[in-house]
Amino acid sequence: MSNKRKFNMLAATIGMTLSVLPAISHAADKQLTVWAWDPNFNISIMEKAKDIYAKDHPDVKIKVEDFAKPDLEQKMHTVLASGMTDSLPDIVLIEDYNAQKFLTSYPDAFSPMDGAVDYKEFSPYKTQLMTVNGHTYGMPFDSGVTGLYYRRDIIAAAGIKPEELNNITWDRFIELGKQVKAKTGKAMLSDDPSDPNMVRILMQSAGTWYFKPDGSLNIKDNAALKEALRLQKAMVDAGITTPSVGWSGRVSAANKGDVATVTNGVWFIPSIKAAADQAGKWGVAPTPRLNIAGGTNYSNSGGSSWYVLSASPNSKLAIDFLNSTFSKDVGFYQRILTENGAVGTFLKARTGAAYQTPDSFFGGQKIYSDFATWLAKVPEVSYGQYTYEADAVIAALLPSLYQGTPIDEVVEQIDQQLASQIQP
Amino acid sequence: MHKNNRNGFDRFYDVNGWAFVSLALGLIALFMLYPIASSLWLSLHSGKGLVVKFVGFGNIIRLFHDPVFHTALWNTFIFLMIQVPIMIFLALITATCLNSPDLKWRGFFRTAIFLPCVTSLVAYSILFKSMFAYDGIVNSFFHMVGIIDQPIPWLSDPFWSRVTIIAAITWRWTGYNMIFYLAAMQNIDKSIYEAAKLEGVTPRQCFFNITIPLLKPVILFTSVVSTIGTLQLFDEPMNITAGGPANSTLTLSMYIYNLSFKFVPNFGYAATVSYVIVIFAALLALVQFKFAKERS
Amino acid sequence: MTQSLQPLRLRLQQFLMYGFLLLSALLSLFPFLWMVISSTNTTADINQGKFTIGSALLENIHKFVTLVDLPLVFWNTAKIALLTTALTLLVASLAGYGFEVFRSRLRERVYQLLLLTMMIPFAALMIPLFTMMAKAGLLNTHWAVILPAISSVYIIFYFRQCTKAFPRELLDAARVDGVSEWKIFLFVYFPVMRSTYAAAFIITFMANWNNFLWPLIVLQSTEMKTINLVLSSLASAYFPDFGVVMVGTILATLPTVIVFFAMQKQFVQGMLGSVK
Repeated sequence: MSNKRKFNMLAATIGMTLSVLPAISHAADKQLTVWAWDPNFNISIMEKAKDIYAKDHPDVKIKVEDFAKPDLEQKMHTVLASGMTDSLPDIVLIEDYNAQKFLTSYPDAFSPMDGAVDYKEFSPYKTQLMTVNGHTYGMPFDSGVTGLYYRRDIIAAAGIKPEELNNITWDRFIELGKQVKAKTGKAMLSDDPSDPNMVRILMQSAGTWYFKPDGSLNIKDNAALKEALRLQKAMVDAGITTPSVGWSGRVSAANKGDVATVTNGVWFIPSIKAAADQAGKWGVAPTPRLNIAGGTNYSNSGGSSWYVLSASPNSKLAIDFLNSTFSKDVGFYQRILTENGAVGTFLKARTGAAYQTPDSFFGGQKIYSDFATWLAKVPEVSYGQYTYEADAVIAALLPSLYQGTPIDEVVEQIDQQLASQIQP
Repeated sequence: MHKNNRNGFDRFYDVNGWAFVSLALGLIALFMLYPIASSLWLSLHSGKGLVVKFVGFGNIIRLFHDPVFHTALWNTFIFLMIQVPIMIFLALITATCLNSPDLKWRGFFRTAIFLPCVTSLVAYSILFKSMFAYDGIVNSFFHMVGIIDQPIPWLSDPFWSRVTIIAAITWRWTGYNMIFYLAAMQNIDKSIYEAAKLEGVTPRQCFFNITIPLLKPVILFTSVVSTIGTLQLFDEPMNITAGGPANSTLTLSMYIYNLSFKFVPNFGYAATVSYVIVIFAALLALVQFKFAKERS
Repeated sequence: MTQSLQPLRLRLQQFLMYGFLLLSALLSLFPFLWMVISSTNTTADINQGKFTIGSALLENIHKFVTLVDLPLVFWNTAKIALLTTALTLLVASLAGYGFEVFRSRLRERVYQLLLLTMMIPFAALMIPLFTMMAKAGLLNTHWAVILPAISSVYIIFYFRQCTKAFPRELLDAARVDGVSEWKIFLFVYFPVMRSTYAAAFIITFMANWNNFLWPLIVLQSTEMKTINLVLSSLASAYFPDFGVVMVGTILATLPTVIVFFAMQKQFVQGMLGSVK
C-alpha cells in the first residue's frame, strides 16, 4: 500500500519536474556548456571568446557557468565518478596541477586534442603536463609565470638599485633582505609555513618536481627541494619575513605595505593593483634562482587549461571553438591582457601591442613584455598526479623544520609520509 | 479512519504505529538504502577515480598504518571532548537566564545570541580569519587590556589554531542549542518554580534539581546531535584554518574530503573513513543513551 | 524573604545574569557589526583592516545586483527552504509521535537503525545519491534538493524526544472520548507542542536555507542556483570583492532572521494555563 503510494509520488514528481525542466539537453542543437571559476577572470575571458566565435558561427549557443574552484572540482569528481556522463559540461577548466589526476583517474573522459591543436605554438612547459600515454588533451590557457615583484621606494630607501635585483640567486636575495630590514625596518617578504607555494616555485625554477617524469618519488635526492627548504628556513632565521596566513594574508601584506617584495605568478598583479595608493611604486624582476646546477631565473605558479569532455555530443564543435579563439586569435589575447590581466601561453600573442605597453603602476616598466620573455623559458616539468598529496605533506612538516629539526631528517620524513599517501 | 475496536487493541496499536511512521520510513528507504549499500560495497575497493580494484579489508588495514588518519582521529576527538560539554553548558545557562520571569530586553538577548547560527559560512570564516590574524582585532584587544605582551599566533600555531576553531564552533552553535532548551523550558509549568521559591529553594538548586531533570530528553538530543556534528566537523577547519597548521586542525571529515576531491580520488578508502565516523558516533550515542536511562 | 541579605543576593544574581547575557550578546553581535561595516567599504580597505564606516555601500550593492540575479536566486532558495521545511515537519512529527506513542520492539529496532543512518557523513552517500537523481532525470531541478532532505532523522529524533514530555493523560482522555488517532494528533498533540514545532521550523528552515553541498552537486545552471552557491563563487575568486560578498551575505542572512522573529511568539507562549 505504501509502496504504491511511493511509486505514484515519484512518478508524479518526475512528471511535474520534466514539465518544468530547463532545456539543457544539447543533443540535437549546437549548444556548448562551459564550467569554470572566477567571474572576473576565467568566466569573463570565456565570455569574450564566446562573443568572438558567435560572429562567424551565429548558430552555436555557448553557456558559461560559474562555480567556486573547489566546488567545481567537487562537482567534476562526483559526476565523473558516478558515470552519469549526460550531466557533464562540454568544456571544463582544470588547474594544471590537477590535470594528470583527472586524466588518469577517469580514463577516456576527456578528448585528446593533439590532432587539432598545434602545441608548438604554446609555451613548452604547458604541453607536458597535459599529456598522458602519448596523447595531449587540453587547450593551454593562462600562465602563472612568476616574477619578483618589488617596491621601488622601499628598496631605494635601503640603498639598493633596481638593477641589483635582476637575475640574482636566493642567497643574494637574503643578503639584500637583511639590508632592507636594517635600513627600513620592513620585512622583505611574507612567509606562510602552511603554504608550499614557495617550495613549488623554487623546484620548478630548477626544472624538477616532487616526482620524476615516470611518476616515482623525487624527494630524497632532490637537490632543488632540499635547497628550497633550506632557503625558506634561512629567510625566517634571517628575520626578513613577516608571517601571513593563507591567500588573503599574502595579499593584505602587500596591500598594507608590510613587505618589500612578493614572489608569485603574473596573476598576482590585480591583487597588487588593488592598493591604489601604491601606484607607481612597484617593479618586477626575474625570479631569483637556486644556486645549484639547473637553477634558472624562471618559474611558474598555478595556471589552468580548458578540457573537452569526450562524452559530449558536441566535442568536435567544442574543440573547434577553443581552437579558433585560443590557438589563433592574437587580438583576443591582447584584449584579455588589458581587460582581465591574463597572460596566455600562446607564444604569438606576445607580439601584440598590449604586451608592449608600459605599465604606470609599475613605474612605466613594460612588465608584460618581461613576463612574456620569461614565459618561454619556464622549465618543463611533469606535475604528476599527486601534487596535492605532496603539498599536504610539505605543509604538515614545514613547521617542524622551522622549529629546528635537521633538514635531512625532514626530507626523510617527507619521503616516508608521501610514500604512504600514494597508493601502490 | 481506524477502528476503535478494543478486542483487536494490539492490532490497532500496531497498525497505527506503522501508519504514523510509514511516510518517513518510505522516504528514508528510498533515498538511503541504495546509497548506503553502494558506499559499503565501495569501501571494499581502492583505486583512483573510476579505476578501482577489490581489496576486501585492505582499506581497514590501511587505516591502522595511516599517520594522517591517526592525526585526524585525534584532532576530532580533542574537539569533541572539549567543545561539546562547554557548548551545552553555556547553552543551558543562557537558556535559563532567558527563561527568567522578569527579564528585561529578553527579545534582544535572545535574537542576539541566536544570530551567529544564521551567519553564512562564507562570511563568518572570512571574519574569524581576519579577527584572529596576527595583527587582528583579538590580539589588539587583548594587548590593549593588558592580558598579553606579544600577539598570539592564533592561526599559525598548532595549539592556538585549535583554540580558534573551538571558539568559532562555540560562537556559532551555542545559540542553536539554546533554542531547543528554551522551547522545552516553555513546556515546564511555571508553578513548579513558584512552589520551589516559596519553599526557599535557591536558583542554583532549582537549576540542578528541577530544570535539568525535566530537560533531560532535550539535553540528550542536543548532546547526541552535537557529538555527531563534531565527529563530522568540516566547515570550520576547512574554511578558517584549512586543516593546518601542520594538520593540527585536520578532522576526519576534512580527510574524507581530501581523499575524494583534493588528492587523487580514492572513494573506497574515503568511504571506509566515513564508516569509522559512523562507528564512533554510534558508540558514543549508545553511551549517552545509557547514561540518560540510568539517571532516571 | 524576610532576611535582609536577600535583596543583596538577589541583586548580585541579577547583576551576574545581566552581565553574562550582555557579554554573550556583544560577542555574538560583534561579527555582524563587522559584516555591516565591511559592506560599506571597498575590498582594498577591508584587506587593509579598515574598521570604520565607508562610503562604498551603494557601490557594493550595485555591483552585487549586477552580478547576481537576486530575485531569482532568492526565489530559488526560499522555495526550496519553505517546501522542504513544511514537508519535513509533517513527515518527522508524524514519525516522532508514532515511534514514541506506539512503542513496539520491532519499531524500536527500526528507530535505532534510523539513528544510525543519521551518523553517516553525507560525503559517503553523495555519489550514489547523485547517480539515482541522474537516472530519475531530476538533476538540475529543485526537487532533487527537496526530496532527500525531507526524511531528516534529526527532526524525527527531536520530535520523539519532545513527545516524551507530552502528557499521556491528554491522549488517554481523548481516546476515552472516542476520538480517532489522527484527530488526536491534529487537534491535541499539534496545539500543545506548538513551541516544539516552532523550534523545529526555525532549525529546519535555517538548515535548508544554508544548505550548500548537495545543491552544489545537483544543480548545474545559473537559473537554478541558491544564494549560498552564488556567494561561494563570488567569495573564492582569485581576488574576491569582499565588499560585495558582505552585501550578499547580509542579504542572505536576513530571511532566517525574519523567520526567527516570526516564530518567536510561538516560542514564548508555551503552556499558558491548564490544558485539561
